[in-house]
Amino acid sequence: MSTEVQTPEQDSPPAEELDATSRFRRSLSLLGSLQGYIGLVLIIMIGIITKGQTFWNQENLTNAIGGYAAPGILAVGETLVILTAGIDLSVGSMLGLGSMVSAMLLVRHGMSPIEILPISMAVGALCGFCNGIGTAWLRIQSFVVTLAMLNVIRGVDRQLSDNVSVGTQIVQSNGSLTANSKAFQAYGTPGHKLFSGVNFPIFGKGIYYPVLALIVVVIVFQLLLSKSKLGRHIYAVGGNPTAARLSGINVMAVTITVFTLCGLLAGFAGPIDAAYNASADPLAGTSYELDAIAAVVIGGASLSGGRGTVVGTFVGVLILTFLDNVLGLNSVSDNAQLIIKGLIVIAAVVIQRPDFFRSIVSALRRISIPTRARQSTSTPEES
Amino acid sequence: MKPHRVLVAGTITAVALLAAACASTAPSKKSTNDNGDKVFTIGYSQSNNAEPYRAQLNKQLQFFVKKYKNLKLLSITDAHQSSATQVSQVQNFIQQNVDVLIVSPNEPDPLTAPVEAACAKKIPVIILDRSVNTDCYSSFIGGDNVAAGKKAGELAVQALPDGGNVVELQGILSDQPQIDRDKGFREAIAANPKIKIIQHREAKWLKPNATTIMQQWLQQGQKIDLVYGENDPMALGAYLAAAAVHKEKEIKFIGTDGLAIPDGGIRAVQQGQLAGTFVYPTCAQEAADTAEALVTGKQVEHKQTLDITPVTPQNAAELYTKYSSEASG
Repeated sequence: MSTEVQTPEQDSPPAEELDATSRFRRSLSLLGSLQGYIGLVLIIMIGIITKGQTFWNQENLTNAIGGYAAPGILAVGETLVILTAGIDLSVGSMLGLGSMVSAMLLVRHGMSPIEILPISMAVGALCGFCNGIGTAWLRIQSFVVTLAMLNVIRGVDRQLSDNVSVGTQIVQSNGSLTANSKAFQAYGTPGHKLFSGVNFPIFGKGIYYPVLALIVVVIVFQLLLSKSKLGRHIYAVGGNPTAARLSGINVMAVTITVFTLCGLLAGFAGPIDAAYNASADPLAGTSYELDAIAAVVIGGASLSGGRGTVVGTFVGVLILTFLDNVLGLNSVSDNAQLIIKGLIVIAAVVIQRPDFFRSIVSALRRISIPTRARQSTSTPEES
Repeated sequence: MKPHRVLVAGTITAVALLAAACASTAPSKKSTNDNGDKVFTIGYSQSNNAEPYRAQLNKQLQFFVKKYKNLKLLSITDAHQSSATQVSQVQNFIQQNVDVLIVSPNEPDPLTAPVEAACAKKIPVIILDRSVNTDCYSSFIGGDNVAAGKKAGELAVQALPDGGNVVELQGILSDQPQIDRDKGFREAIAANPKIKIIQHREAKWLKPNATTIMQQWLQQGQKIDLVYGENDPMALGAYLAAAAVHKEKEIKFIGTDGLAIPDGGIRAVQQGQLAGTFVYPTCAQEAADTAEALVTGKQVEHKQTLDITPVTPQNAAELYTKYSSEASG
């Protein structure tokens, strides 16, 4: 797309003609650079047109993204796995276990939120490590390993909890919450923000931790993918595992690392889920893996590996989030929501295809060339 | 080659474990207890252990069966919400020739055939909470979801004497309890035409869905006077969303289920989060009593409909103690 701007103007068409075409081209190239985001932009526009301020205000956007932060973080981990041409179906269960472990450490063992987070992450990482061992070392297809682990981890979660949800708001005899329980709310109980006294440029008064956590995770893992050696190896393994192995990459180590990181992120999201619900449900995170995989694919990653970015996944997460929010704010009926959500996801994927605009533009050109060719010969055949 | 050896070892261990597990769950047909009386075995097929209400039911059933020295409850089977699984688990119980079969059907149609099969083999069957399409059982014990919805509606009418705006959080739309509770609620609030349901959405019985939906409703800026959640987690999810914008005091929240667990509805009423909830009966005590009556040859009622107990701030503490002691037994 960027080549269009630099098209030589050797034929020097009339001045006003040049101005119009180059402006047209420039706007096209701008659209081109936004292409990965066009689905998101459209949904935001629909939101603003139909609901205006009710949609486009800090509180609503924070609520929308915050409510979706836990599956969003899972989607980042899922991106890494999908980049290596694997899949992780157990992310929802790992999140559920992380959520339950966090709530139980808080309630039964009186631990502070700062101590709970690393333990939850370690639990997630351990589960992910098992997925990695199953995939890379035992050489079972990741679909099968993680489907099995989905059940194993859910079983452990339910056994731990005895199928009873664990509330994180521990009320003392005087009616107020315990210190740890109060602090735990900062992980995402609606209405509880970090640094609520400070005014931030984009976030406004205070930061809602789930939103911050999602953004930080996206930035860290995008940098990991694009800047680090591990990132390059992940793309190489997903693109062509044989070539990767022959060029000296330890494919097994990369695969195990990727699954472990995915589990680590699920464990990281555990306390967020527990705090958001003010309780850990034994079924928390059920079917989140589908949302996570959907976000990754909407974000442009290929299920056959080697192609995709974390930023793309983030866009996919935002599309799913805002779609739900806009439909909800417009009070669309539940059955219609299912239909519309499904169709819009398909539309978003099609529109975001790299060649979508080029094909439309060339189709338009084919229609307009006969008339334009008489005035000027400078129109390139192909962009 | 290493992975293979591991696999082989793993398989052997798994098989051994499985065999051990099977051995322990097989009916130890010890036909007498310490006093030399005959002991009757009970097989209970649960549709889904993962629902807190059903987890509570399991525990209470164990508690109440234990009270009868001549009854022995085999391991409760969990069908994980799959009717096919439940059919085979019920068939297993029939194979084991249990003395009483208790079933909480996942769905009426698929479970009808195995219940008829048990009936044909003269095994007395107790059906809990959801119906089957046959009359060939000894007793049906269940609550009345229409009544549960109606009582919630009556509480809403009482809480809003001057009328007001109500929002309703629904379970999975096609679930029978959802359909019944919704029906009862709407019938009851019709008593005051000034009460309007301004919004209703499917939150699929789940707390996080309810929180997100409630945030959207609050965002729309309409005045909300009362939230009806068809179960407690949904009502409490809405409460969280309202509390985040400090509106929890202006809105009344009504739930249903009233589980006596620290994270359940009765505690929430005690703490003032819910204006009220309703204990939907687990039927466990009645099931144990009915089983005892059946094995001792007494007559049982073919259909037992149990009352819905309202939980108010006044009786919450007492109810909590009562039900939680049954569950911990």
